Amino acid sequence: MKHILVIDDAATVRLYHRNILETAGYSVDEAINGIEALEKALVTSYDLYIVDVNMPKLDGYGFLKEFRRQEDVLQSPAIMVTTEAGNQDKILGYVSGANLYMTKPTKPNQLLSYVRLLLGEVA
Amino acid sequence: MPAINISDEDFLKFKEYFYRKTGMLFEDSKRYFVDKRLIDRIEATDSGNFRNYFNQLRFEVSGEELQQLVNVMTVNETYFFREEYQFKCLVNSMMDEVTRKKKDDSPIRIWSVPSASGEEPYSIAIYLLEYWSGIHRWDVEIMSSDIDTKIIAQARRGHYSTRSVMNLSKPILAKYFTPQAGGYQICEDLRQAVEFSRVNITNAVDVRNYRDIDVIFCRNLLIYFDDASRRQAAEMFFDAMKEGGFICLGHSESMSRISSLFRVRKFPDAIVYQKPWEA
Amino acid sequence: MAFIKKQQSSTETEDERQAPRDFEGLCEELNHADSQVRRWAVRDLVEMPNASSVLVDRLEHENNVSVRTGILNALAQLRDTVSLNGLIECLRSEDAALRNESIEILKELPDEVGAILENLLKDSDSDVRIFAVNILESLRHENVEKWLISVIEKDSHVNVCSTALDLLSEVGSEQAIPAIKKLKVRFPDEPYVCFSADLALKRIEEGSQ
Repeated sequence: MKHILVIDDAATVRLYHRNILETAGYSVDEAINGIEALEKALVTSYDLYIVDVNMPKLDGYGFLKEFRRQEDVLQSPAIMVTTEAGNQDKILGYVSGANLYMTKPTKPNQLLSYVRLLLGEVA
Repeated sequence: MPAINISDEDFLKFKEYFYRKTGMLFEDSKRYFVDKRLIDRIEATDSGNFRNYFNQLRFEVSGEELQQLVNVMTVNETYFFREEYQFKCLVNSMMDEVTRKKKDDSPIRIWSVPSASGEEPYSIAIYLLEYWSGIHRWDVEIMSSDIDTKIIAQARRGHYSTRSVMNLSKPILAKYFTPQAGGYQICEDLRQAVEFSRVNITNAVDVRNYRDIDVIFCRNLLIYFDDASRRQAAEMFFDAMKEGGFICLGHSESMSRISSLFRVRKFPDAIVYQKPWEA
Repeated sequence: MAFIKKQQSSTETEDERQAPRDFEGLCEELNHADSQVRRWAVRDLVEMPNASSVLVDRLEHENNVSVRTGILNALAQLRDTVSLNGLIECLRSEDAALRNESIEILKELPDEVGAILENLLKDSDSDVRIFAVNILESLRHENVEKWLISVIEKDSHVNVCSTALDLLSEVGSEQAIPAIKKLKVRFPDEPYVCFSADLALKRIEEGSQ
């Protein structure tokens, strides 16, 4: 079973994403900000990360930048999820190490198609 | 004599006062623990009831009773080699990284807070002697501080119960301890290896002399602090540390709830936090 | 080589404070190349009148995290109009870390922020309105629920409403129920809004039993 880490400071958003992903057959862990996400990602090899941008202590860009410089960790893909639709943000997201970018609020079908695409599950 | 009672309002008043003075905040779940110790002190001071005791506490110039209270409110349950994975990380990874980046041969500084009765700083000393070959090449300064003066005296004495040394192997016990009535006495060399001091980590004056620290152990202390005091403590540690220095928190604590000043570092034995190098 | 105790010379660490500690000297140190020096300048500046504006100015181009954290803490301590406006301005920054740090600091200033929150909730930038709702989270202000209800009734942006809804599911009472129900009607094509509205309704109903 593919293992996904959902990183968001809003509990409702984490629960929403967890429900969608678990219903589709993935197993899900949660982190409340970038630091907790790093603590988890450095010891567990997740297959995919779903990363919110605005979070206290360490934001989504900060998490990805720090995560991408870790040499001995499986560098799985990441989807950045944000309320900000501006172009500038997207570029920043990609520079930080995101593979895809989604605008909140996410729709289940769109989220799952992105997840499957990045996990190589699309025929 | 009627039983001494701590009302909800008393508890609230005491909680706020103690927090303001020490930065320690008691959750309501700690109520039983706090009440019990308060009643002990009310009896010990012959105050008769909470109101008398609390007035005496607030208006006492010497601050002696407040210190007594701090002493009884801080939980000092610890033992040798507790949360040992971090000591392994110290000797297998952190010490070598610290020495590799050093520009001179000045001593390596380790600070263990709170000292409690000394098990942690002495465990660090034993671990370095037993498992870190660099100890023959480098000078190491182990400092250990606590807010509780009584417990510091106990740490300096170095007398331990059988329970406290239960995690130590027979060879280590034989090498560093002498059996004594009711437990074990730590050897003179180790007693001399650790510098104990009284420090309140939320007091800027107390911590001013702690600088250029390479490794800090601060385990299971910040859980008693509220958000603002925790952040303040993290800032203080940051200033006390050398660039690239490490800080270890307790098993159930995480920097993700405290501060964004430190980097997360993964080593084979543990995850620790590091003061970043200047870019 | 072995264990040593602090030697007299090694305990007397050199004082981080080098330049004169008057206002001009400290302002100069705010631009020093060494971040440690800047950090100590920030600390000492807090004690001086008129410090807010120089600190706010420095914040705009300070890129060292520890100095920036120091300045944000200092502004929270100063709590004057200039500091508060400086912190609010950070909400518009392009820098996500700065935005989020200032949200955390503003959460700790309930009285000051409470007075201007209604304006922030009407800001033309939807992200600023989201941050304003984030700040509400720990404001413990008597009007919190009223403000949140008004956001989900009137704000046209789905993410502003969603953020307010999240919070209402924690702090909302029966008063909020009609507005939450109406929100589902307002955004019928947003599964997330329906999900979190149902969750909020469930929690409020459970809480009132």
